[in-house]
Amino acid sequence: MFSGKQTKPTFKSYLPPLQTDLKKSPQLPIKKLEAKLLPGEIVVNESNFVRKCIGAESCQDDLWGKLVCTNFKVSFIAHNSLAQQRFQCTHRLLGEHDIPLACVEQVVTVNDVKGKQKILGSNQKLKFNPTELILYCKDFRIIRFRFDEAGPESAKKVCLAIAHYSHPADPQLLFGFEYVGKRYHGSTGERVNGVDPGGGLQTPLFDCSSDWDREIKRTGASEWRVCTVNQGYFISPSLPEFFVVPVSLADQDLKQYACCFYSQRIPLWCWNHSSGSALVRMSNISDPQQQRKVEQRISSAITKSHPLRSDVFKSDLDKNLPNIQDIQTALLKLRQICVIDSFEESEEKWLSSLESSRWMEYVRTFLRHAVEVVYMLESRHVSVILLEKEDRDLSCVISCLVQLMCDPHCRSLHGFQGLIQKEWVMAGHRFLDRCNHLKKNDKEESPVFLLFLDCVWQLWNQYPAAFEFTEVYLTVLGDSLWVPVFSTFLFNCPRQRAEHSRDFASSKSIHLGQDQALCFPPVWDWSQQFSLKDQTLFNNPLYVGKIATCVQNGTVKTFTHRRSKKNYSSTLRGLPSALRNGSLGPNDTLSRRNSLVLRLRSDLSQVREQQETPSERFVRDFFSRPVDLQGLLLPQLLPSHLSVWKLYFLRWVPEAQIPQGGPITAFHKLSVLTDEIEMLQNQLRQYQGAAGTPNNLHTEHSKMYFKATSTPHQPPAPPEYLSSSFPFSPVGNLCRPGVLGTPLSKLLNGAKIWLSTETLANETI
Amino acid sequence: MASAPIAPYNSSPLGNSSSPNASRESLKMEPLADVAMLPGEERVIDKDIIYICPFNAAVKGKVFITNYRLYFKNTDSETPVTLDVPLGVISRVEKMGGASSRGENSYGLEIICKDMRNLRFALKQEGHSRRDIFEIIFKYAFPLSHGMQLFAFLSQEKYEENGWNVYEPMEEYRRQVLPNSEWRVTFINKNYELCDTYPTILVVPFKATDEDLRRVAAFRSRCRIPVLSWFHKENHAVITRCSQPLVGMSGKRNKDDERYLDLIREANGTTKLTIYDARPNVNAVANKATGGGYEGDDAYQNAELVFLDIHNIHVMRESLKKLKDIVYPNVEESHWLSSLESTHWLEHIKLVLSGAIQVADKVSSGSSVVVHCSDGWDRTAQLTSLAMLMLDSYYRTLRGFQVLLEKEWISFGHKFASRIGHGDKNHADQDRSPIFLQFIDCVWQMTKQFPTAFEFNERLLVVILDHLYSCRFGTFLYNCESARDSNNVRGKTVSLWAFVNSDTSLYINPFYTPESSRVLYPVASMRHLELWVTYYIRWNPRILHQSPVEQRYKELLALRDQYLKKLEELQLSDSTHLTNSSTPNTATPNQHITHLQTPF
Repeated sequence: MFSGKQTKPTFKSYLPPLQTDLKKSPQLPIKKLEAKLLPGEIVVNESNFVRKCIGAESCQDDLWGKLVCTNFKVSFIAHNSLAQQRFQCTHRLLGEHDIPLACVEQVVTVNDVKGKQKILGSNQKLKFNPTELILYCKDFRIIRFRFDEAGPESAKKVCLAIAHYSHPADPQLLFGFEYVGKRYHGSTGERVNGVDPGGGLQTPLFDCSSDWDREIKRTGASEWRVCTVNQGYFISPSLPEFFVVPVSLADQDLKQYACCFYSQRIPLWCWNHSSGSALVRMSNISDPQQQRKVEQRISSAITKSHPLRSDVFKSDLDKNLPNIQDIQTALLKLRQICVIDSFEESEEKWLSSLESSRWMEYVRTFLRHAVEVVYMLESRHVSVILLEKEDRDLSCVISCLVQLMCDPHCRSLHGFQGLIQKEWVMAGHRFLDRCNHLKKNDKEESPVFLLFLDCVWQLWNQYPAAFEFTEVYLTVLGDSLWVPVFSTFLFNCPRQRAEHSRDFASSKSIHLGQDQALCFPPVWDWSQQFSLKDQTLFNNPLYVGKIATCVQNGTVKTFTHRRSKKNYSSTLRGLPSALRNGSLGPNDTLSRRNSLVLRLRSDLSQVREQQETPSERFVRDFFSRPVDLQGLLLPQLLPSHLSVWKLYFLRWVPEAQIPQGGPITAFHKLSVLTDEIEMLQNQLRQYQGAAGTPNNLHTEHSKMYFKATSTPHQPPAPPEYLSSSFPFSPVGNLCRPGVLGTPLSKLLNGAKIWLSTETLANETI
Repeated sequence: MASAPIAPYNSSPLGNSSSPNASRESLKMEPLADVAMLPGEERVIDKDIIYICPFNAAVKGKVFITNYRLYFKNTDSETPVTLDVPLGVISRVEKMGGASSRGENSYGLEIICKDMRNLRFALKQEGHSRRDIFEIIFKYAFPLSHGMQLFAFLSQEKYEENGWNVYEPMEEYRRQVLPNSEWRVTFINKNYELCDTYPTILVVPFKATDEDLRRVAAFRSRCRIPVLSWFHKENHAVITRCSQPLVGMSGKRNKDDERYLDLIREANGTTKLTIYDARPNVNAVANKATGGGYEGDDAYQNAELVFLDIHNIHVMRESLKKLKDIVYPNVEESHWLSSLESTHWLEHIKLVLSGAIQVADKVSSGSSVVVHCSDGWDRTAQLTSLAMLMLDSYYRTLRGFQVLLEKEWISFGHKFASRIGHGDKNHADQDRSPIFLQFIDCVWQMTKQFPTAFEFNERLLVVILDHLYSCRFGTFLYNCESARDSNNVRGKTVSLWAFVNSDTSLYINPFYTPESSRVLYPVASMRHLELWVTYYIRWNPRILHQSPVEQRYKELLALRDQYLKKLEELQLSDSTHLTNSSTPNTATPNQHITHLQTPF
């Protein structure tokens, strides 16, 4: 593998290299390089004879081509594809080398002859001709282009264009508007972009009262109702038009209370526990004089909606959780150590650097807080109010995590998507500001949603069979934040979406017809981005769905395993005693080797009184029982049991890639087996008399990405293109200068001197 | 996905499944509380005692001591609390508190174990109640210090397979296509006369005469001359292992040694022989003071020397001690990552793995290598065996892994007795060190990175480590083959592999996909190395041990087989129906199939 020339699968190329003889065909015909444009997309500027850096070690793998800036993306159209390329998994909106402008975090131009560099913003001047362009991306990629052979003027222009267009001055300049606007110019009824607005989509968007009604029914929240006071957004600018409130509160009351809350946000119902306890989110009460009274009214209304008339527990998120700036700082530090610092130099201090980024700590804090809330709902049977100043960031995370832990429905694909609609999109998480698409206010930028995805990943990693989706799905969902086309992530709240799309429509004389607003596709319309085949990468072959528990038949047992009631050695599970873990402090362990008579803490009786908190006990009890994957799931919270989400954070790092290894290789085997089972099921169904079911049903509808072979008992070896980064590839996506090609050569040569222009990149010159 | 936790082994780490007929033989012996005793196991003392569980509270119960184990069972609650600890894992027993100590449970025993846990027991303060039990544990946990035999020699366990036959050196060399025109087998050491810590059968360059070997032995520490460990069938490059050359302060040279290394190089036409010295450069230099050293440039002109910077046994011992401090009894929560970093355990793992990667890479590119450290039985064993695991998929099978351990570790004289201190009371012995544990950890790291490449699972690794200490089997006893021979270990004890191979299904990784020619290169980076929590933190009851992906896969396999069977039945009945009647579908299959809904 390391000897000889390594064949490098590249970004989105997953096939093993073609035989070299195939390339013997004489001179490639001179291709005309044209950017592939989407409806509404226009070319702003372009430069020819640009080189895209692929391997940092040498430029022999670099690609020649044309660099194009459009109003949507930075596109690089290569003359020659990376040798031996075939693309299996293609993005429908983006080409192999494309970066959406919304994904560009920083545009750095360099002139290495003059030793100059500059970070370009919007409408800036550039006094030197760039020899190099470095794009730092929000998804942790670092892409480099060289202009050695390009016309200096055109190079400069394309850089300026990229800088300018990646800083749109107005939300309506985000590409989604042009893209979606185009469909209204087509002949009537024709779906220009193939946008299927909600139709055929099984994910509830919660933008109509019927979705909420169904959710009320599903969770048995009979004492709650859908309220319509905010139709037309007349009460609160940041609330959706439809939301759920206690039945005991009349519209009149709601209108009255609304003005006391921050941004007139009437408390929102999120979900009901099967015990009848409700999960509610609430913003701060802005009027201190009214505070007590209003709080009491709301609480008593919630109490009234509880079948046991249980109390309400208030959970103050601002006090207990990091704020959005903390989260942003943590991500920046994490990015620094993951992709910017030299790989080899940061090895020695990797763990402590990871700790000092505090990202993992925050993930743990959010999960732990969610567990506390789950305890109140599950064990204390009280309703919980999540209290946050604006109720638009931390509550989204906690509310979703609580539901994911308690409600197996949320762990299905559509359940999860509905959850995000409900708790993020409709509740008014400021995606536009948090993504900082307009690059206007860095203080508002914060990866709250990514933090949430990481928390979900931790749960997924601990209970992989409990989720219908895969980590590829979570990763791709995170990436979709930077494709500014989807209704899901473009706006701060439903009202903003409505207003902007109305404005845009009237400015472009688009006749909306029956639609209230422009129909942006939700990200859940995955066909916008991926083929059906590629979407199967989202399906988790391990998933134990509801029906699975019925598959109990002869040799096949239920999927939830009862632990045999055997003795637990030293573990003492289920002991009634309630001692905290710390009966042995670190100081009185046995490290003092020479003391022959070791002192034992004499006050064990006192320790016994030092009760573990009820919620700790709740967690301990949970772990002493067998887990039902279709029931409550609590995460293991010890720091030793939380991991870095490597697929997301390290996928572009060439040195961290495990060729032909990583969890994907086991996933591959699972997928093949699951596919085989599906096939057998179909055959059995045919016997069942499902006449008319065509034989090839299987191949069309298989949910698995990796298919069973015709010789099922000879399981195929993992394809060579699999790696720990699959389905992504580091090649050409992380160009730190001074980085050598293979992990091995890194090891052999030890630390490399960091000749980076990037280290300076944060200081504007 | 595969990083999910694997099933718990903590509830009964040392599978008490003695063979059924054996337990019948010992019927006259009453069972020990609720576990069957092993054949040959004898009860020594029972005593009421309080177990001070670090995770919960003090538990009243009874402790049973046999010549093999310490067994505790509670009496104060219906929820069973048990401890089943082979005495072999005990590193040290101490008295805590005195007759006049105040406070509840302040008088008792403290037992420090080799497997990442400590146990505390409290007794009544009156009447020297701990004296007898302390003395008995002390005696039976350290039988060698009391002129007694290790339990492995007392055990009467019987298994179908004779585990000692797992490794037959000649068979293994033949598998490697040896001997051949480049390499020959020599019996020069058949009476351990050349080197008393090497096995009897050695493979050396074809052109090297026995006389050459004797002369080379004089120049290598403890006569551990370079011999072949592994032969690359395609490019004929080899891994050879040895100890350091006796260069000394004066920089002695030895023409025979120089020529001998050149013979290794010439065997497959390697242009430059690479000598991997596992030590840090400074340590190698320091060794000159005690007569050792390394191969100098001028003396070995056709060789290049690479230092791999792996630290010595003392550093590793201290590192593991620090690791234990942060995971037992409680996981250090507030600064977990930096605490973990400061133990340097993963960093050492990284250095060992990356050393092995370099060896493997060099060999697969066609160059022969020599690997040594100081004596060639610690770091050298780690490097050669890990490199072989990367290069040769045979060693990644359940059998092959046993062969690898028998060959590179046991037969080539890793000093298990000294490193583990079997049956020896001297817990502070500076010779003790977790070198083998570190190697197993490296293997575990590889299985994590390549979940389909190994035929065995994590459970096997845990069982190996448990019996590394237990002294129930003879496999890891003694320092070298000559000592094993003179104590007739093969004749008098059972091999661990007899036990393992009596139920292999427990140790099979369902994801295993055989790939014969693939070289595995793990990524030796802190980004990927993980703490092996299911081993190091397995005693903590707050750890989740479940939802194993492995288990789910096995269930799916069972489901698949069930469907296949059903389908076969249907096809059979179908063809009967087709001949007998015109309606192919009957009610019977319908009913069956409705049960077979799955989540897919």
